[in-house]
Amino acid sequence: MKRDTRIRGRAGSIEIEAESFQYQHAGGEPIKGRFFSEPTEPGSRAVVIDGRVYRVTRGARGEMLVNGVATLIEVFDPRDLRARPAAMASGGRSEIFARMPGKVVRVLVSKGDSVEAGQGLVVVEAMKMQNEMKSPKAGRVAEVRTQPGAAVLAGETLIVVE
Amino acid sequence: MFGKVLVANRGEIAVRLIRGLRESGVRSVAVYSDADRASLAVSLADEAARLGPAPASESYLHIDKILNAARKHGAEAIHPGYGFLSENADFAEACGQSGIVFIGPPAEAIRKLGSKTAARRLAIEAGAPVVPGTQEKIANLDQARQVAQQLGYPVLIKAAAGGGGKGMRSVEREQDLASALRDAASEAFRAFGSDEVYLEKQVLEPRHIEIQILGDHHGRLIHLGERECSLQRRHQKVVEESPSPVMLRHPELRARMGEAALRIARAAGYANAGTMEFLVDRDRNFYFLEANTRLQVEHPVTELVTGLDLVAWQLHIAAGERLTISQTEVSWRGSAMECRIYAEDPENGFLPSPGRIAHLHEPAGPGIRLDSGVYPGWVVPLDYDPLLAKLVAWAPSRDDAIRRLDRALAEYEIGGIRTNVAFFRRILADPDFRAGEFSTAFLATHRLAPEDPSPEMEAAAAIALTMEEAMEDAPGEPLPAAPSSSFKSPTHPRLIDGPLWLAAGRQSQLR
Repeated sequence: MKRDTRIRGRAGSIEIEAESFQYQHAGGEPIKGRFFSEPTEPGSRAVVIDGRVYRVTRGARGEMLVNGVATLIEVFDPRDLRARPAAMASGGRSEIFARMPGKVVRVLVSKGDSVEAGQGLVVVEAMKMQNEMKSPKAGRVAEVRTQPGAAVLAGETLIVVE
Repeated sequence: MFGKVLVANRGEIAVRLIRGLRESGVRSVAVYSDADRASLAVSLADEAARLGPAPASESYLHIDKILNAARKHGAEAIHPGYGFLSENADFAEACGQSGIVFIGPPAEAIRKLGSKTAARRLAIEAGAPVVPGTQEKIANLDQARQVAQQLGYPVLIKAAAGGGGKGMRSVEREQDLASALRDAASEAFRAFGSDEVYLEKQVLEPRHIEIQILGDHHGRLIHLGERECSLQRRHQKVVEESPSPVMLRHPELRARMGEAALRIARAAGYANAGTMEFLVDRDRNFYFLEANTRLQVEHPVTELVTGLDLVAWQLHIAAGERLTISQTEVSWRGSAMECRIYAEDPENGFLPSPGRIAHLHEPAGPGIRLDSGVYPGWVVPLDYDPLLAKLVAWAPSRDDAIRRLDRALAEYEIGGIRTNVAFFRRILADPDFRAGEFSTAFLATHRLAPEDPSPEMEAAAAIALTMEEAMEDAPGEPLPAAPSSSFKSPTHPRLIDGPLWLAAGRQSQLR
């Protein structure tokens, strides 16, 4: 089983064969080893790599907690075309979601716009602070799911960039 | 003792109180807003009464609705918890007029200590040290300039009615005084409905140390020692401990501060549980700051080191019983430390992170107490303070308590929302914190950067997520790498026939 990964913003891949794995991220040395993994509580797994135990749990949206350390992660099946509209170098489909509840002040893009990595997409105000949410990568705005004045909850998807 | 008590609060403190009531053989009535229908507190109580919609003004702050619920359910007394109506003298009085006991100090004592300016006057009259400053509210800018000149900069502007840092401004130079005064007054008005502010000399590198007091309605008043609460973000406490590291080095300070706290409490005619907060400077001068006329969030710390159950004593005292412990009988054992677990994002300015708790693993084991108000699947509402739980460790020494707390934090997993669990582990690892060398400025001056996962941790995350998603995509089908069969095939030959658990039981007896 092979998956493309995006961990803490870096593209990479994980390959799992029975109880062996190989993990690599762009620019990093590949790691290989023996492992086993058992689901423990719902949403949680023990991953034992060469005898070292990691507790991995679904954290906040888009994150896994690895021994308590929050790790931003996505995995994609390279054979799944839906999940792979653009080259992996630009990271596939990205949902831009509200990190905290608040109000949308401005929407800076429209559906179909091309955007650069780091370009502002939407401004959300929470606790009297305005927070501009930026595109994680270059691509095209596939969906705009919000509008100025809308109240949003933490985790709510606002914009989708492909 | 009462037969039935209404808990006029929510979250972890409602759970704590319901537990205390059950232990005392008292029936509990939980109240809830529409956002809290499915709360842990409601599910643990004996009876429950709806107050109204989610906003606190229409539920937990609505005096008439709470009194109606108490009458309807036949509750003889109301415990207000902390926050909400707990320090509202009008509420305490309204309870009395309805023939319901308010579990807390007399309304008159709340009034005397409720306004910070009134409390300061009282403390001065009682001979307790206070931070130099004005006793009266600041009427205008000219007066503020004059007072600040006398005190010497830096000065602090504070809201008379306030707490939690709202309406507070530090001013280092005279040219900043006018705007700070204006901001503080308008913030105070928005938060407390009163724009009354006063000026104080700013104590440099202060530690926040408070004294727990307990008194009955028959004239006995004792103190239960201190809690150090210097670790604060935006004037909100996050870590509390007892003994204070200052007292560990200078034990005589406890008795001196305890006596000052008791003088103020006596002057106010205080009864039941309460807290006198002090600032302590580098030279161990202490200054009375304010009174909290209620049970504190951090009360478990005192319970663990004194072995006294504050909630049980609150009930006995409110029921008119005598406090049977004398000052000399109070003893302190070991060290206790508490972390306030919040649904907030420490990497994003501590912004609240409400939402659904998708996964929850709570720590347990030796010396750990968890006062929690949540469960897996609970949706943390937007409407209230995002405190989820309080994790408290007790151990024979401060170092042991820190290690134990860190161990428990490492076990604590909360998924679906962001929390400050990992942030506490970075605080506990800090050398200054470990050495007990800190002030209220600690969190503002220490960079506690989050740990980066190692490549192997990234691999573990990738393996787990890949396997989880594969399982979701193909439920029931064996995973390519699922080695669970190793658990199903016993490695030892079967010695005994019969059900597996019975066999396993017999086998372990044989060993």
